[in-house]
Amino acid sequence: MINWLARSAMVTFYPRSEQFPGIDEMPLDEYLARFKRESAPLMWAGFVLGTLFFHLTPLFTVFIPLPAFALSAATRERHAQRLSSHRIYYVRQPVFLLKMIAGLLWGADPAVRSRLGLAPYPADPGTWRRS
Amino acid sequence: MTHIAFREEDLSLEVDYVVVGSGAGGATAANELARGGATVALIEAGPWRDPEDYPSSTYGAMRDVFDDWGVGIARGRALWPIVQASCVGGTTVINCAICVRTPEDVMLQWERDLGVGNKAWRDALWKHQDKLEVELCAEVVPPAAAGRSSLLAAKGAEAVRYDGHPMTRYVKGCVGSGQCLQGCKQLKKQSLNLQFVPEVMALGGTVLSCAPAERVLLEGRRAVGVSGRFREPVTRRKGGRYTVRARKAVVVAASVTRTAPLLMASGVKHPLLGRGFRAHPGTGVFGVYDHDVDMNVGATQGWASVQYRIEPGMKVETLSIPPEMVASRLAGAGKELVARMGDYRRMAMWVVAVRAEAVGRIKRGLLGEVSVDYSFARPDMERLRKGLALLARTHFAAGAVRVLPGIYGLPYEIGPDQVDLIENGPLDPRSYILISSHLFGGATMDKDPTRGVCDEYGRVHGYEGLVVADASVIPTTLGVNPQHTIMALARSFADRLLDA
Repeated sequence: MINWLARSAMVTFYPRSEQFPGIDEMPLDEYLARFKRESAPLMWAGFVLGTLFFHLTPLFTVFIPLPAFALSAATRERHAQRLSSHRIYYVRQPVFLLKMIAGLLWGADPAVRSRLGLAPYPADPGTWRRS
Repeated sequence: MTHIAFREEDLSLEVDYVVVGSGAGGATAANELARGGATVALIEAGPWRDPEDYPSSTYGAMRDVFDDWGVGIARGRALWPIVQASCVGGTTVINCAICVRTPEDVMLQWERDLGVGNKAWRDALWKHQDKLEVELCAEVVPPAAAGRSSLLAAKGAEAVRYDGHPMTRYVKGCVGSGQCLQGCKQLKKQSLNLQFVPEVMALGGTVLSCAPAERVLLEGRRAVGVSGRFREPVTRRKGGRYTVRARKAVVVAASVTRTAPLLMASGVKHPLLGRGFRAHPGTGVFGVYDHDVDMNVGATQGWASVQYRIEPGMKVETLSIPPEMVASRLAGAGKELVARMGDYRRMAMWVVAVRAEAVGRIKRGLLGEVSVDYSFARPDMERLRKGLALLARTHFAAGAVRVLPGIYGLPYEIGPDQVDLIENGPLDPRSYILISSHLFGGATMDKDPTRGVCDEYGRVHGYEGLVVADASVIPTTLGVNPQHTIMALARSFADRLLDA
């Protein structure tokens, strides 16, 4: 459930454009599973909180008493914009974390990097010296 | 040569010196002690990653080399991430290896106000820095590797009429791969996992990695060793316990955010332990040009100015960050954000690091968690605004068509006639996205045991055989990058131990 909610929020932040692919065209489910498995517990907790916060607050941004996932894409995007530029710091911060974690996938995608004149990243080996 | 990584079995060792932490301070101290003929055990909480293990992406860097995914924050009026590494070599693996000598005015202040050092002490420190520059191949960034962002900064500073210079870094033959923050796979950066740590092993020392220290072992007021437990770096599963006894001394260099809490957990008593936390928090301003800058091509950091180090108290420099970091740094969401990312190739990011007056505190919670209380004072916010305005002016002088201030409450982008918006910008730290870097304090030096935790050789007042050898001892900000100072202090402290 949380992955589904997170996916909905992340797609709102990084949609497809003429220049770039959208995050929904990237291996988002695999990324979320990996992030849950690999991230620090505090980081994951912040991400979950940010996701829930995103979905529970449209009433205060676009004045519609529905969770964000039930909004149209355009309204959900307006909600995301208002949250990320909200005057209250502790509203902006959880959304910043959500946007950052989504951005780690979107900005590192080979297609995005290619359009920015950058070679694809080699795989992160995740290895370490054992002896 | 002995390296012991994560293991399930318990381990006991006895050596002359135990050094906790393998970053700039710990690796340098261990290396000097080993060169002096002592047997040394170097204990590192994180794993040992060789260049072939280095990550490429920011995700990989956060997972593999940042300390606990970079979730450490300085908490005050705003939340500012603390960026440091947890791996053999410490933050030298992921920093830009910037080499700046300890300013004389800073050391004169230490002598005058704290009774720390004298002319001979200062001269010894600088001699260490002479040698370190040779050993670690300190070089000025070559023009071919500087990258357009640094070349533009030089041009802009000249037009605005302040001094700047290509950086000197511990990088031999930089090829400008733009990967300093993930670890240099080109083997050009002389990070200490490649330099001093292997030498410690070659000289008969033992390196324990994946081995967070839990306690400095005390017998009365004498430090006699270190104990801890191995931790698997991927799963965080706990392994065997280890105890390393020290015949002569324990040197703690676990980083500013870890050293004081480790001493607290060990029962070291001093009312100032954890106090005196200082930093050079910083943030960046993007300039958008009418041509490609490709800031990710070239040295990650290549140009700096220290003209304003003393007054008003700040350093400006170039810093290139990859698209995934820019994506979260730019304001907005959705189509608007993605459209803004279309400017990436034409962007250059330059940063101001504030030599802050603010003083904070490092605390250890009931469950052992570490927290840092730290908040900017008004003069620091004024410095920050001045620095950001200077950078905006420099961008425009270098030919930027727009500047993205990145300040909440200001327009997303401004033109050359709107720099005063930054100068008169908000004074609330919450309006800025800052990162806490260049950390100092927590176990500061002072001749007077009632005013500082350590003496001028890092020896903890009131204890025997217990030395702190990282930036925790530094009692003030420096206004310059601290690695060179940390290494020189560590080497000086190690020499004193060998002489004793």
